[in-house]
Amino acid sequence: MGLYRTTTRFLTLCSLFAALTAGVAIMPAHHASAQVFNLNNTGFPSYIRVAIRENNPWGEPDPRGAIIYVRTVNFDQYCRNVLPNEWFPTWRPSALEAGAIAVKMFAWYHHLHPVTIGGFTFDVDNTINFQLYRAQSEQSSTDTAYYQSRKLAFVNPNLEITELPYRAGYPNSPNWQYRNAQKMSQWGSEYLAELGRTPIEILNFYYSGKLLTTIPKVGGL
Amino acid sequence: MRMKRHLIHIVSTLLLAQLIFGMAIPIQHSSFAYAKQEGTSYDPLLKSSKAGHLRVKVIDGRTLEPLVGAEVVIVENGKRYRTGKDGMTPWIEAPVLRNARYRKLVNELHGQLTLISYKNGYRDSIHSGVRMNEGATTRTTIWQYKIEETGSTRIEPVFYMEPYHRLWLLQLADRFRQKSQLGEGYQHP
Repeated sequence: MGLYRTTTRFLTLCSLFAALTAGVAIMPAHHASAQVFNLNNTGFPSYIRVAIRENNPWGEPDPRGAIIYVRTVNFDQYCRNVLPNEWFPTWRPSALEAGAIAVKMFAWYHHLHPVTIGGFTFDVDNTINFQLYRAQSEQSSTDTAYYQSRKLAFVNPNLEITELPYRAGYPNSPNWQYRNAQKMSQWGSEYLAELGRTPIEILNFYYSGKLLTTIPKVGGL
Repeated sequence: MRMKRHLIHIVSTLLLAQLIFGMAIPIQHSSFAYAKQEGTSYDPLLKSSKAGHLRVKVIDGRTLEPLVGAEVVIVENGKRYRTGKDGMTPWIEAPVLRNARYRKLVNELHGQLTLISYKNGYRDSIHSGVRMNEGATTRTTIWQYKIEETGSTRIEPVFYMEPYHRLWLLQLADRFRQKSQLGEGYQHP
């Protein structure tokens, strides 16, 4: 009887252990995204996976189009090919630098939180679903802004890498409603730059409670 | 006969009235009149005195390697430039021409140019909508595709149109939006 009880307990423990182990093994990948990625445990990305969506009939990538393939793009190159399509290249350097930091942090956050759609796993797509990416579209002014701010990160106080969302907004106004929504207004960034605000002042205006810091082991201009 | 005389009378009266009272008669304004009215010297129909700096890179559309010796033409002024070893033209002073149709609605954020690239053995490439701004630098890339020995029975130019910048498209849509048509809307920035 004692041997039977001992054996039963042993088998029960074994099956519990097996179930636990199996549970860990089959845990869905998205549970891993609950991990907090911060500057201390995450390196600066060297690449990003861009889903290329099919073009609409007039030849532009369609945000609702099917994903054709996923292209692996150098991370710096990706940011340089987004910035001139999101911000306007002739805007003031402060607006472009604030934009460069937002574009970079947005891309970095999504690089750490990939999605799978239609069998394709990717970080971002090439449309306004994420950020508008056009290969070979880099411009001198936006490149300068990107490299001036390359080593800077705008993160949560615990150094957590966070998405910095933005929208167009309206010209000639700071766009207070965007500030209330914790999104940067692109036109607002140019308006504030015109008033002489620095990139950090512009970022602080739209995103409260965040911290500007340098990214370890990353250089700039 | 009587009707013709009547018509001549009306026209001469109108012309006389215009001479005396200036702007009393509605006439169709030319774009120059608009420019004068707004106190600017801008007239899209006149030769642009404003220019930006343009550098064009021509690459093989398949291999993405630079194409040496391609000839790039700016359609708007007919000037021609050759690409060097790096597939790039020299820096070009190119005109900034904004579309006159939109000036009274929402002035374009950038001018637009059309370029054509030629190279023997490759399909011609027409690249339209190159964004130009006064005093600013613009880089653009033209893809050219090799004419293959097989399967190239019908050889025509390749056309690519660079879209307007999305910030301007948003402005244009906002320009005609009714209050009931929220778009992005104030409540959902």
